[in-house]
Amino acid sequence: MLEFDAWKRLGDVTVGGRFTAGSGVTALFGPSGAGKTSILNMVAGLLKPDRGRIVADGSLLFGPGVDLPPEARGIGYVFQDALLFPHLGVEANLRYGERRSRGRPPLIGFDATVALLGLEALLTRWPATLSGGEAKRVAIGRALLTAPRILLMDEPLASLDAPRRAEIIAAILRIRDEVRLPILHVSHDRDEVDRLADAVIAIDGRAAAG
Amino acid sequence: MSLSAVEWAILGLSLKVGIVAVLLCLPVAFALAWLLARRRFPGRMLLDALVHLPLVLPPVVTGWLLLILLGRNGAVGAALYDWFGITLVFRWTGAAVAAAVMALPLMVRAIRLSIEAVDRRLEGAARSLGAGRWDAFVSVTLPLCRPGVIAALVLGFARSIGEFGATITFASNIPGETQTLPLAIYAALQSPGGDAMVTRLSILSILVSLAALLASEWIARRGRHARV
Amino acid sequence: MIRHILLLLALIVTGCASEPPRAPVVLAAASLQDALTEAAREWTAQGHQPPTLSFAASSALAKQVESGAPADLFVSADEAWMDTLAAKGLIDPASRAAFLSNRLVLIAPAASKTALTIGPGFPIAAALGDGRLALADPAAVPAGKYARAALEHFQVWDAVKDKVAAAENVRAALALVERGEAPLGVVYATDAKASTKVRIVAIFPADSHPPITYPVARLKGSTAAEAEAFRAWLVSDAAPVFKRYGFGTLPPR
Repeated sequence: MLEFDAWKRLGDVTVGGRFTAGSGVTALFGPSGAGKTSILNMVAGLLKPDRGRIVADGSLLFGPGVDLPPEARGIGYVFQDALLFPHLGVEANLRYGERRSRGRPPLIGFDATVALLGLEALLTRWPATLSGGEAKRVAIGRALLTAPRILLMDEPLASLDAPRRAEIIAAILRIRDEVRLPILHVSHDRDEVDRLADAVIAIDGRAAAG
Repeated sequence: MSLSAVEWAILGLSLKVGIVAVLLCLPVAFALAWLLARRRFPGRMLLDALVHLPLVLPPVVTGWLLLILLGRNGAVGAALYDWFGITLVFRWTGAAVAAAVMALPLMVRAIRLSIEAVDRRLEGAARSLGAGRWDAFVSVTLPLCRPGVIAALVLGFARSIGEFGATITFASNIPGETQTLPLAIYAALQSPGGDAMVTRLSILSILVSLAALLASEWIARRGRHARV
Repeated sequence: MIRHILLLLALIVTGCASEPPRAPVVLAAASLQDALTEAAREWTAQGHQPPTLSFAASSALAKQVESGAPADLFVSADEAWMDTLAAKGLIDPASRAAFLSNRLVLIAPAASKTALTIGPGFPIAAALGDGRLALADPAAVPAGKYARAALEHFQVWDAVKDKVAAAENVRAALALVERGEAPLGVVYATDAKASTKVRIVAIFPADSHPPITYPVARLKGSTAAEAEAFRAWLVSDAAPVFKRYGFGTLPPR
């Protein structure tokens, strides 16, 4: 359960929102440039809001006098560009977060993650040789293995062709149903949102209804 | 071509001075490269200029500046001697300091370029996966800087073993202590009948520099193959 | 555009060709720097072309002459280097003359309080402590060779030979003592006199080393018209200048 009520001024615009996200897939929907990625970054601790509160599962991540560093928040983040570490192989990338989960009980084991996302054939490969869809799946696996309390996904289906999109959609739904991990998912595509989301929060650069 | 004992000693001294100079310089160069690449602070441009000074100043001037700072009567040198009994002039450590100062700008440039080439978002990704600042630096940024660090080491080493002007001005030309290959060649050039020695030592210099360049190519190539 | 460049090149080339006759080029031992410069100034003031002077260790200069450096006169700080060139037929033997003499002194930085009396086995190594003795390179440079001879004469060379800071020439050795990098040094009396930053600790007796004499000679490859005239003036009428700087003058042959 995520309670978000925070704002930041970036240049001429103010980005942020006020909403709660429960279990299942919550979509942040809005046009490009509305500040959806900035909201994800604020949840993850990669962008510091000017004011507000962010609470995850009852723990205060950001508030008056509190600003937990990203590594202490337990937030899994699948970036739009995957951002796999080029100097590590696929398996090492996957295990990177596993070692750093700071005592949080694992949600899903390594082998189960590999099976869930169909990564067996990729384990010995290097990020530079992966296709867009493959890299996305590895990124999802990498984030899952940190045993996060919530998974952030930034435009997970962007620039994928139809078969790959289907793969990722299937993966997301399995995470929601089998792993039972709340997902906060950013998209500007109405169809995608309709397919995946249990709740939709409209972000248009001003306070949103949620 | 066979070398006399003296010539082997000169080669040994050159290698010792060059390696120590580069190792001495590396952490300083890395820290400066990091500061200049990643941080904004008042005086940043001035720091950048100061770092590059040994590159553009005549080496003799750099040597002279070292002398007034680190010589027996220098601002820092006097303290070094009084408190720790350390003298740098006439000693191989002085030659290493001179070489390190001359190599610094080249090393900072090479490392800075490779730091700037690392996608900063990767550090954010590492943080989101549970790595603290230092952990993210060591496990992600540092390995990705490796090509730059290797380039810096090779460039720095080549510059160090070729260093002449600052060394002879600061540490003097003392056989066995500060007489590296370039200084020995210079001394032999000044001695009537020293031409054979000049030839042998010059060939040595070329071989050492070639070896350093080839080693760096090989290391860089190995790194590349591991990734693809 | 091309025409302008060609014109410029032509001017440069003809400019080079129509130079006035060359002034004498003199290669002289480093210790002569101040005195010979002033002598050359007096020579020029008398209406002659200003000579070009190049100062370095006599050994380095001998090497340059061997390698064919285009110079007119060579002034060495010892007979040995002049002999070397004579043996190779590089000088005009008839023009060779020893015309200056010098003394050897032990110096220390001006602020130093070191006191030593030169005698057999004198405690110079102890006085050095962990510092070094500044000398011109004893292997090749005359000032260094004389210093070594003197120290051997007093049986202290073995004690100090590993503590020597060998400089390129006697002036560089002087500079090391001036800067305080070396607590003691051995240089010529004329060098000590020329510097305000060193003091003379003791003077080496003249019989503890070969006599320090400066021979001058015209080089075989000499082409400057006034070279011989300048040389002749140096060994006779220039004596007062050298005396002022502390050199001894030897009567011309």
